[in-house]
Parts: sequence; C-alpha cells; structure tokens
Amino acid sequence: MADTVVTLSARGAVRPRGRAPRGRRTLTAYLFLAPFLVLFLAFVVTPAVSGLWISLHTWNELLPLHPFVGLKNFIDLFSPDGLYADDFWESMRATGLFVVLSVPCLLVIPLGIALLLNRRVRAGGVFRGIFFAPYVLGVAVISVLWRFLLDPQLGAVNALLGADIPWTVQVPWAWVSLVGITVWWTLGLNTVILLAGLKGISADLYEAAALDGAGAWRSFRSVTLPGLRPVMTFVTTTTLLASANMFGQSFLITRGAPGTETRTAIMYIADQGLGQGNMGAAAAMSYILFIILAGVSVLNFRLQRDTTR
Amino acid sequence: MKRPLRGIIAAVAIVGLGASIAACSSSDAPSTGSVDAGADYSGPDVTITFWNGWTGGAAPTIVPQLVKKFNDEHPTITVKEQAIEWADIASKMPLAIKSGKGPDVAVLHGDDIATYGAQGLLLDAGDVVKNLGYSADDFPGGLLDNAQYKGVQYGVPWSVTPLGLYVNNDVLESAGLSTTDLPTDAASYTAALDALKKAGVQGEWVDGFVFTGTFEFESLLWQFGGDLFNDDVSKATFNSKAGVQALTWMRDLVDKGYSPANVAQDGNFNALVGGKTAFNWNGVWQTTNEALQSVDHQAVAVPQIGTQQAVWSSSTHWVFPANKGQDPNKSAAAAAFVKWMNDNSLGWADTGELPAQNSIREDPALLTAHPELKVFLDELDYAHYETVAPGITTAVAEITTAVNEAVLGKKSPQDALDDAAKKADAILQQNAATYGG
Repeated sequence: MADTVVTLSARGAVRPRGRAPRGRRTLTAYLFLAPFLVLFLAFVVTPAVSGLWISLHTWNELLPLHPFVGLKNFIDLFSPDGLYADDFWESMRATGLFVVLSVPCLLVIPLGIALLLNRRVRAGGVFRGIFFAPYVLGVAVISVLWRFLLDPQLGAVNALLGADIPWTVQVPWAWVSLVGITVWWTLGLNTVILLAGLKGISADLYEAAALDGAGAWRSFRSVTLPGLRPVMTFVTTTTLLASANMFGQSFLITRGAPGTETRTAIMYIADQGLGQGNMGAAAAMSYILFIILAGVSVLNFRLQRDTTR
Repeated sequence: MKRPLRGIIAAVAIVGLGASIAACSSSDAPSTGSVDAGADYSGPDVTITFWNGWTGGAAPTIVPQLVKKFNDEHPTITVKEQAIEWADIASKMPLAIKSGKGPDVAVLHGDDIATYGAQGLLLDAGDVVKNLGYSADDFPGGLLDNAQYKGVQYGVPWSVTPLGLYVNNDVLESAGLSTTDLPTDAASYTAALDALKKAGVQGEWVDGFVFTGTFEFESLLWQFGGDLFNDDVSKATFNSKAGVQALTWMRDLVDKGYSPANVAQDGNFNALVGGKTAFNWNGVWQTTNEALQSVDHQAVAVPQIGTQQAVWSSSTHWVFPANKGQDPNKSAAAAAFVKWMNDNSLGWADTGELPAQNSIREDPALLTAHPELKVFLDELDYAHYETVAPGITTAVAEITTAVNEAVLGKKSPQDALDDAAKKADAILQQNAATYGG
C-alpha cells in the first residue's frame, strides 16, 4: 500500500501523486507477483480444474482408458446403493464429529492458557515453551508414543488409572483419545497466536474499563474478546480446516477401528484415490468435502465479522 | 493436520495429485513384452537397478552384501540396489515404470503381481523361468502358480513367510504346562487355554487388525475348509459356514475369557514378550524380533483348529518391470541376477523370511544356522498364499474390517462377514470392470 503517496492539495482535495508512470508501476507489481501466480496456477488452479475433469470419469491413472461417466461419481455418493456412498458418508461423519469435538477445545483451552501467560507470570517464557513443545513433534512420533501409552491392556495410562479403558479400539473412547491427543499436540500453536493477539490489546482499554467499574469478567467480554476478534477469526478458521483435515492420528493410532468408525474423510479419500486407483470417485469426494469446508469457512467469517463498525 | 491453511486446499491437493499422476500416464495400451534370458548373461556391460522394500531388520546389511558379491563375480553387470519402504514402492513404482524410470528388477508381494500384470507393468517372465530351469517342483506347492495372472508368469518366487504359534515358555511353566508337549489341535489347544485361565493367564490375546488377526482368521477359514474367494475371484466366499466358524472361534477366545477384550494392534505380541500371555499367532519374521530374544520362547506350527491343516503365508517374487523403452540387455542381466540371488539365498533366512527355492531350504546348512525355522519349513506343505487377482488387496481389506468388528464385539461374526462380503463383491465387480476381468 505504500506505493501511493497521498497529499492534501491547497484546496484540501485528496490527490494521488505518482512517482512513476502508472503503467510501469503496475507492470512492476505484476512482475513481483508473477512467481507466486505461476506457482498458484500450477499447483492450485490446474489441479483443481483437472480434478473436476477427473471427477467426471472412471479414472485409474495406470490404465489406458478413462471412460467419461458424467456426474455419476457425484450421484453415486448421494444414492443409497452407490458403491462408496455408505463408507464415504461414514467417514464424513467421523470427520464432522472430530471437528465438533476438537475445535471448541482447541479454541477455549489455548485462550485460557494465553490469558494466564499474558499475566506477568514468572518464567512465562518457559511455560510458553512447554505448551508449544509437542507441536514440533511429527504425527508419526506422537502417534507411536500415544499408542504405547494408551494400549488398553499394557499402556501406562490404564495402569495409572487402574482401569481397562479401550482407549484406541472402541468408541467413544477412541474419539476421546484422538481429540485429547490432538489438543495436547496442537494447542501450542493457537496459544502462541492468541497470546500475540492479547499483547496487541492496548492496556489503556483495560484501564478505561476498570475506571468505568468493569470487573474481570466484564472487561474480558467487552475488551479482550472484541480486541481478539481478527485473531480469533484466523485461529478458528485454521483450526476448523486443520481438524477437518485429520488423517495421521486415525491412520496410525486407531487404524479406523472399531470397524471403520474412526476412518476420517481424508483417510478414506486418500485410500480410494491413491491406494485403490479410484481417482474419479475420490476426486468427486474431494469436491464435496471442499464445498462443505468452503461453506463452513465463509460462515465462520460472516459470524465473526465485526458488526460494530 | 497442523499447518494453517493447509486444510482449505486439502481436497484440492488430493485432486491435484490425481492430475499430476494423470499427466504422467501414457495412453499406450498395456502390452506384454517378455524377458528372454538365462542364468548366464553374455551381452554388453550394463548397469541395472533393483528396487526392494527391505528397509528393516537384517535385510539392509544382507542385501548390499549379496549385491556386492554378485557384482564382483559378474564383471559385465553392475546391480544398483535401492531399498524403499513397501508403501512407497506401491505408490511410486507403477508410475515410474509407466514413465520409463522404474527399476530393471524388483521384488513384489504375491497379492500385487496380478495388479501390476493387469496394468501391463511387468514383462512376461515365463521364458526366464524356463531358461533358468525352474519348474513348479522347485518351489513350495502352488507358489510358482501364485505369480501367474491369466496364464502369464510374471514373477519368480523369492521368499515365503508363514504364520506360526509363538510360545512363551516361562508362562506355560508357571501354569504347570509342558513346554515340549505343545498343543496341535483344537482339543489340546483349548485344554492349554483352560489350564492357563485357571492359573490366571489369558492364554491367547486375539486382535482384530491386519497384524495378525486377519492372518489368523484366514488360516482358520482354510482349516475349516473354506476359502476367501471363489475360483475365478468374482465373489467373496469368506462368509461361508467355514468363515463363520473361524471368526466365531476367535470371538469365543474373548467370550470364554482366554483373551482380554479390546486388544490393540501388536498388543498381543507385546503381551507375549512381556510374559502376560502364552500364545501368539504371528509370522516367521518375528523369529528375528530383538525384544523376543530376551524371552524364553519357541515357535511351533499353528494348531489345527478346523478339519484340515492350513496356514496363512505371504510370498515375495522377483519381477521384471516393463519400463517404457526397456533395454532387453538389462532385463537379461536382471534374469541372471535373479538366478544368482535365488541360488545364494541361504543367508536370507537371517532376515526371518524363508527362501522360496526348495534346494536352498532343503540344504542342511539352513537348519544348522536357524533351527527355529524347522517348524515353519514343515508348514509349507499346507500353506496358502495370497489370492491372485488385480486390485485384490482392496477386497481383502474388507476382511480385516469384519475381523475387527467381530473381535471387538461390534457385530456378530456372521453379520460382520456378510457385510464385508457384500462390499468385497462390489469391489471385485468394480475391479473386473477396471482391469477387464
């Protein structure tokens, strides 16, 4: 935005004063944007369009013929006797359940921790490091770790509790485990972002609120939450999408068990498309997932839009 | 699962992968070339590439040694070996072959060969088998046929890995049971489980995962006289009476208190190592498991629970990829390499796999080095290998779902198997359409 210098003329009218001929400046801007545009076209737009094309075919990448089937792949997903309909919607349900269970935890708990860390606690940096630490581990590492700890018969968790809870093999326990592990693993990121957001809220506002007689709860509601709105929108969106994208934990910890109840949409789509060569059907499923996620994201932005301005 | 914004393009990314893969695929129809070569290579100097999935255990040291020895003995052939995780081979190799960048020789599991063959990714190895002087009698019964699809020989057997019954001797002794007179049939096995139960030990922890609940189920299914699929692999038959008997027997282990409910994958093997259980049905590969070596253990043939002897085994085979523009000299050199490897596969037993070539397994030196393998060798007389049909792994995956649901008590064995069979049938039908039946 700094490329236009705005000056007030003597008559008070706003008049932009360019430093270079307009055409050349635009060209420069486009040149700077070009590399990203090329990447975007090559790795987002092209695949997205060809994905749509693939979804209209029975498409196994290794076979010579890819018969055109029109919207059959999509229709099959919505008809009860479609080959993949049951499994796909079961996996969508699993993903939805995981999102509903994990996203609130991944917003509320990090917010609470960020509020605590935002007070001038001794060794706050150390705590911040501790909360963030699991996030640097890979999904394979945390999965192996928790599979050991949560083993129903031999795991340390059941030994400590003196119970025999089937953490990784029966619902609802498998969901408790998957959500719990994910929250433990990724809450550090949201905490750090929210903490940065908290630091950005001016202390004057709290002071003014206090002078007006606001208590802790009132100033949290009227100063902290509105001040965090842009950050919160971002965190909510990324968390929603990350949770909807859950794959590794289910794949490695529960292996979809019991039966296929914890098999998530991404896990199922990847298996269909890459494992079984059903690119056409998998592409159609991806599009349905994409449309739903896009819808949820838009809704989220709408809901969190600042209506006071 | 963790990068911001990765989610929104997740769907697109998967689609994109499809597109990039599609870009690699060529439109020429699958054609089957063949390798015409023998044990001796007489062509010009060549360098051939060899892909395998042996990334764990003793293999990463043994394979390079074998390759080096081969290279030293064969001045005109240089083999370059590359170990890649099995899962990565599955995702990379087909595309690599299509684009002419695949290996000249590779090792595949028995249940992948038909899939590759149907896609025109492999050369006909029938002449290699003939020229190398192999016949069905050189391998365990049925194994050579197992590398055939639609009458074309696509592979040369390399190794087999049957299931066995692993026994924790200390646990048996603590329950007052003999460690020499081990159960061999349903009656003696149940008696042992009963005795263990009285001593407060759950004798066999049964799991509902691929490793090894599925393998145990398949063994039992064959023991009760059933089979996974019908003869032309167009219909699932694992929900037959035999299948229900097999799965009911497994679920009964839980219901009768011989096994805890809700065993996680590997939980049973870890329990065996940890001295919490006495028996575990597991593959021959566990003979090299390091944790197990600290335990007083032995392995015996799996007991005959059903009406006949049978045991699950997987197999691996040499294959000659039909790379775009494949150099016949390289494939010929690869054939010479395969013959040499099979003839020198005695040391392969160090990896916990059984060499497929009979002459090697019958060499007394094998049992001198590995006496624990005797029971597994004997089992090969009645071992069943993978089903040969393109795309079969997808249908077999439904079996695991059924075993999982029944063992975890989500469905009755009959319902679980019926549901899985219905899905498997649909998959087989789709495979027939995809691969041209």
